[in-house]
Amino acid sequence: MASYSTSEFKTGLKVLIDGDPCTITENEFVKPGKGQAFNRVKIKNLKTGRLNEKTFKSGESIEAADVIDLDMEFLYADSDFYHFIVTDGSFEQHAADKNAVGDAVNWLKEQESYAVTLFNGVPLAVTPPNHIELEVIETDPGLKGDTAQGGSKPATLSTGAIVNVPLFIEVGETLRIDTRSAEYISRAGKK
Amino acid sequence: MSWRPKAAVSTMEARADLLETLRSFFKNRDSLEIDVPTIAKVPVSDPWIDSLTVTDPYGKQVGFLLSSPEPYLKRCLAELNRPIHSIGHAYRGNEMGKVHIPEFSIIEWYRPMKSGQIDAMVIELTALVCELTQFGKPKVVEYRTLFEDAFGLNPHQTTEHELAQLVGDTISLNTTSNLDSSMLLDLIFVNHIQPSLNCHLVLDFPFAQAALSRVGENDSGDQVAKRVELYLSGVEIANGYDELVDVNEQRQRFENDRLKRVSLHRPDVDVDEEMLFALTAGLPSSYGVALGIDRLLMAVLEKNSLIPCMTFMDI
Repeated sequence: MASYSTSEFKTGLKVLIDGDPCTITENEFVKPGKGQAFNRVKIKNLKTGRLNEKTFKSGESIEAADVIDLDMEFLYADSDFYHFIVTDGSFEQHAADKNAVGDAVNWLKEQESYAVTLFNGVPLAVTPPNHIELEVIETDPGLKGDTAQGGSKPATLSTGAIVNVPLFIEVGETLRIDTRSAEYISRAGKK
Repeated sequence: MSWRPKAAVSTMEARADLLETLRSFFKNRDSLEIDVPTIAKVPVSDPWIDSLTVTDPYGKQVGFLLSSPEPYLKRCLAELNRPIHSIGHAYRGNEMGKVHIPEFSIIEWYRPMKSGQIDAMVIELTALVCELTQFGKPKVVEYRTLFEDAFGLNPHQTTEHELAQLVGDTISLNTTSNLDSSMLLDLIFVNHIQPSLNCHLVLDFPFAQAALSRVGENDSGDQVAKRVELYLSGVEIANGYDELVDVNEQRQRFENDRLKRVSLHRPDVDVDEEMLFALTAGLPSSYGVALGIDRLLMAVLEKNSLIPCMTFMDI
């Protein structure tokens, strides 16, 4: 099994801690005036999302986690799994469970590309693109002439996500949404 | 890959100013600047420092890059018996971080003095901080007091077991094996105390961390290392010793370092016989201080890393 020593620690390194895949988010080399050096490391558990701090004696090693990010297109969902296909031409398919998809379920659209994190070949997390275009399927009728400013209303999008949109938006329009904040950016095509 | 210097022009100017002020600070104190070589015949004995080796293109070892000018300066001090200092570069392997780089600028100075070395260091470092920085007068505090205030325990008398418990309760360690009292104290100090030392001079370190300093008693009869450390913005800037001048004790500490190296599976080192000869010839009772110039610049410029302070950092 591959491992990393403290001198190889850096942000983004994927490691195994207590069997869980983690990523190093911060690595600080600490050395008192006289004596042993340490690495104080901030670690994010990729399964739970929890942040932890851990101190290593310099020279210690830690097991590497078999974690990779691959670009995949969303195909379809069935009752248990969300199915993705790798876009590098291999046509390799992966099924992600609800835990792995997490909040990304709000932004799953067929033929859209997602970053899927695999741990030992199994989907661990799904990251949507920062911006995505989705159709409005339900919202209160728009107010005529009110295109300038003021007010907002909830709109349900084709994925089921509900976001606040300006009052002039109508059912059937396609909107650009920021998936990180779940906020309306603009009408699609306008940018 | 850019060929350009990495630091801002204003940073390079601040560095030049700092070097000039440091030089005049010591010139005004009748100190003689010594230009020491940066290659030495033997590596430093400190078990926690990796000296870098110098080899020729055919693989023959020429020597070791200095981890501090200390051995050369002590040999000068034994001969000259007057205040001396050196400004130059020093090198340490396997040290890379926000406040550690493999090649750094260091000023180290020695001043013969019959008694009162610690007080004299405090006065001099206070003057230096006031003259060279915006931090004002450093607060003088004992290592012990810092532990008493934070945890209500005397670091010189606490058992290894108590220290291990405190570390276990407050720091998430990857391992608990092979941590002696000194390492446990370091962990507590580095994690819980050092970050709050904004402008402090810390005195009287644990006995086990004496390195090349004399050992003495503090007011409450604890055996302590006669050292002074300067901290600015939570970073160690300078380290001063009431220097060990007893050649037999010095030889013993070298041998202890070698034993420690064996137990840590670190490379053995030859003992610095030239420095021992200098001590035999007679090193005057004195104090010595080493100060990291890059770290001082970092504190003066209010940066939280050395990286933007370095003119180049190709390696």
